[in-house]
Amino acid sequence: MRVLKKYLHVYQAYFAMNLAQASSFRMHFVLVILVDIFFYASSLLSVSFIYDHVDTIGPWTREEFLFFVSFMLAIDHLHMMLVAHGYWEFSRELRTGDLDFKLLKPIGTLFPIFFDRVRPGSALLIFVPWGCLIYFGVQAGLSPLSWVLLPFLVVVAFTLAVSIQILIAMVMFWTIESIGINFLRMQLQSLSRWPDFVYLYFFRKFFTFFIPVLIVGSAPVKFLFDYSVWQPLALVCAMILLFFWLIRVFWRIGLRRYESASS
Amino acid sequence: MIVCEQLTKNFRNYEMDPGVLGALKSFFHRRYRDIVAVDDFSLSIERGEFVGLLGPNGAGKTTLMKMFTGVVAPSAGRLEVLGFEPFDRSIAFRKRISLVMGQKSQLWWDIPARTSFELLRRYYEVESSIFEQRLKHLSELLEVEHLLNIHVRKLSLGERMKMELMASLLHEPDIIFLDEPTIGLDLVAQRNIRAFLRDYQREHGTTIILTSHYMADVHELCERVVLILQGQKRFDGTIEDFENLLGTDKFVSVEFKEPVDVTDSIWRPLQPKWNSDRTEVKLLVSDDEMRRTVSEILQTFPVVDFHTGKIPIEHVMETLLARPELVPLGKE
Repeated sequence: MRVLKKYLHVYQAYFAMNLAQASSFRMHFVLVILVDIFFYASSLLSVSFIYDHVDTIGPWTREEFLFFVSFMLAIDHLHMMLVAHGYWEFSRELRTGDLDFKLLKPIGTLFPIFFDRVRPGSALLIFVPWGCLIYFGVQAGLSPLSWVLLPFLVVVAFTLAVSIQILIAMVMFWTIESIGINFLRMQLQSLSRWPDFVYLYFFRKFFTFFIPVLIVGSAPVKFLFDYSVWQPLALVCAMILLFFWLIRVFWRIGLRRYESASS
Repeated sequence: MIVCEQLTKNFRNYEMDPGVLGALKSFFHRRYRDIVAVDDFSLSIERGEFVGLLGPNGAGKTTLMKMFTGVVAPSAGRLEVLGFEPFDRSIAFRKRISLVMGQKSQLWWDIPARTSFELLRRYYEVESSIFEQRLKHLSELLEVEHLLNIHVRKLSLGERMKMELMASLLHEPDIIFLDEPTIGLDLVAQRNIRAFLRDYQREHGTTIILTSHYMADVHELCERVVLILQGQKRFDGTIEDFENLLGTDKFVSVEFKEPVDVTDSIWRPLQPKWNSDRTEVKLLVSDDEMRRTVSEILQTFPVVDFHTGKIPIEHVMETLLARPELVPLGKE
């Protein structure tokens, strides 16, 4: 409990610092909000546009599919607000040796590396993805239990998405340069924004069992629509544990490789 | 408090020829070069010591500091700091040490230092009332009370370094590692930082390990110096012993009214160092010869001023860097 309290206290300070920093650059602050809104709108409109020409995609109606897109937007929103900046910073810190100071702080080092940059502007937009989730959830006829489970499943899916991306970021200990890794990360994120049934068999299996990006959104949304489809959700939980373990292993190996740029 | 035995750190670099061809060749075939940054290094430091690590650029001082703090892993050897193995990176260990690097900053640039300090308070779990007391005390000592709420990027280098020092001391560590804390600072700022460090160490009895290229830092602060050349320990002893490494000759500085004849035979045995217009010379004179030599110079040349003193530590350092064979391996 004491440890959890410490992390919460530290996170409060991160938020305050990022807010102070963001308020120093007002134009940038507004621009980030506009870009986020554009992203949300384009994601929803592109699917809506497809449904203007077809009645169903796979087993899902327009409302079900837009609920899925909104679910992924809620994950993206958390991701952009809480973690996205950390991957780029990690690479810079590895190259410049600025990682040294984070390594010295008496806290789990992955926490300041990936979570110390918060985007307060994105926090203001929380009503957009959650508004869409509620709207399309009602349209899709979500059951009362599904409404209760919804926030928890967003957090579970977000945890898997972040775990995959942090594990991929560990490769930067070897590559140092981050552009390739960060683009790979973003491409995988793009793949997960579509439900798994739109992909071909082998492609789907690979991105379910090897790099499990396709179950990030598909598994919890399928479960919310039909509780008998619980196996993919169980796989999500298993993958989270596996990825936590892999991150730990690769972090230890990576740290041994870290040379810290000369000062 | 710090014990290391046969500590070694190897790095692997590769060389690349210039131009497009060089880049292509290096892409397909790396020419690796193994570098021994720290070589078979043994050292023991007791609680409350103020130790200076001396050496030229690339000698291995910073690498040593990074191993002491657990930032980089040793390639071989045994290392124990405060009873911990640093690279285990235990939280308890990290709470008891601090690292200041003159060329890097742990403060966030786009916000005031006060806000970064609050984050550090939470990292180190310092109670609010104690934290406020320490903050007030340190900011008064360093005379930066009025700068706490200014954005770090707007501070001068000297002011920023004071904030970095504060950041490293708020949790009152048992050991502070200072890697060139006065680099790039003007003379007044250097003096202020030195005075602060001296007073702080006396007040708290903290163990401080310092690297600096400014001999004045080492001379004023450190009771003990360790000379590192090419990753190896070449001297470990008191600052007085270090100053006497070249013997007990005195250093004589003489200023003349007008340019003098540098070819005069009087200068030959005295290792003269002239300024460009031949109106000033620095000499090394033995105690026995002092009276006779000075008297002869005064009678022969139009002297306007002269000083004598011990050989400056800068001169000792310069000489040892040029002639490392003067301090054979293992000299203590």
